[in-house]
Order: sequence, then structure tokens, then C-alpha cells
Amino acid sequence: MKKEKITCKEVMKHVCESLGENLNDDKCVEIRNHLDSCPNCREYFKSVEITIECYRKYNVQMPEEAHDRLMKMLGLED
Amino acid sequence: MEEKQLIEKAQNGDKKALAELVKNYEQTIYNFAFKICRDKNYAEQIMQETFYSMVKSLHQFDYNSKLSTWLYRIVANHCLMMARKVRSRPFVSFDDDEENLFEEKYAADWNTIPYKVAENEELKNILDNAIQNLSPDYRLVFLLRDVEGLSTEETAQVTELSIPAVKSRLHRARAFLRKEINQAFT
Repeated sequence: MKKEKITCKEVMKHVCESLGENLNDDKCVEIRNHLDSCPNCREYFKSVEITIECYRKYNVQMPEEAHDRLMKMLGLED
Repeated sequence: MEEKQLIEKAQNGDKKALAELVKNYEQTIYNFAFKICRDKNYAEQIMQETFYSMVKSLHQFDYNSKLSTWLYRIVANHCLMMARKVRSRPFVSFDDDEENLFEEKYAADWNTIPYKVAENEELKNILDNAIQNLSPDYRLVFLLRDVEGLSTEETAQVTELSIPAVKSRLHRARAFLRKEINQAFT
């Protein structure tokens, strides 16, 4: 039986499932080949990576007073 | 001093060692709590509760996991408790429309987006809103795995989920957040 060609939607699902996993199975090879030849899916892949990067870069600094209140509450002031 | 020595000393009642451990992790815990609840007051409250729990139960820490993984489990529980207490909006449900997560329209230029995070309040609002539409269980998995960089196995350990459940929540969260940001910029 002839194997169905992988669809863009399947590739997008796979990108979301497997990004960051170190997978070298047949499916991943097929996905990588598809990404090489499909600009739309490459763009999708990149946009998922950028989404994650945005949340990684969005950090907040703990205020100094919050540190002082924490140590006081725990009875660990200097 | 190495972390293992600090833990042993703290377990034996050394307050200086305990203070050192708290200082080593307070910023990480505060930041993580903020990322789950997107509110600085709640983040401070959760951080205090987390370290209070840590001090109370440090004698039970048995090195079966890293201290950081153990702390993530404590802070995650406090975050979920807080989220249940202050729930103020409905969360997106993935039951019926998972297919809609994978749309094929694109914002004008994704490449410029990450450079806006540090100084752009509009983008911060978009990121805050998008993640707050996810239920805290999904937020937790996305933040632990993708943002904090825990492995899938560690994320499963912290959340007490199976590995397939972690992967399922992760892929839905990634697709949903990407779609929300895409829509905000289209």
C-alpha cells in the first residue's frame, strides 16, 4: 500500500509535540524533510520557537523588600 | 560550599546554611510564581509559602531528586492552590476544537517579536493575556518544560503526570500560545 504523504497540519502538530525532544525516528526524518521543502511549515516551526523565546525572556526581578520580608518571616534575617 | 553540604547543614539546624539555600533559590521561585499567576503580590505570597513549606519539610528531603526539582514541586502546588482561590476568568477548553489550534495564517513578521519583550508593554500584555487564558495545569507544564528548561521526565515528576500527559498538555499549550500571539499581531 502506498504511504500517504504527510500533511502540513500533521507537521504542525508534530512540531508542537516534539520540539525540544531529541528524536531521530522515521517520523522525525520525514518531518525534517517536509520542513526543508515547505516554507509555510518552516515559518510555523519558527513561530513556535519564538513563542517559547518570548516567555523565556519575560522575567521579573524580585524587589529587595520582598527578600527582606521573606527572611524576616522565616526568622533568617542577617 | 556545595549544595549538598548546605542541605546537610540546614537539615541539622544551621540557620546560615538555610539562609544561603533560600537566597540561592528565591529569585527563581519568585519569577516562576509570577509567570504562573502574572501578579507580583501573589508571586511574593506564593514565594513565602513555598519557602515556609521548604523550611518545615527540608528534613524529609532525601536526594531522590534535585533540590530545584523538589522546590518546583512545592511552588507548583502553591501556585495551583492560589489559582483555584483567585480564579477570575474562564479558561480555554481543548476538548472540541483542537484542530483549530493549528491554523496556517501568519503575522506579518515573527522575527521582530522577541526583540520587543524587554521594553514593550503591549507585548507583555499580550503574553500575560494569552497565558492567562490557559488553565493553570497547562501553564505549569509549558513553563516548567519550555521556560524553566526541565526535561519531560522532570516535568512529569513535578506535576505528577504521566509522560504522555505532559506531552499532550505541552503541545496544546504551545500551539494555543503561538496562535494567540499570532492573532494579536495580525
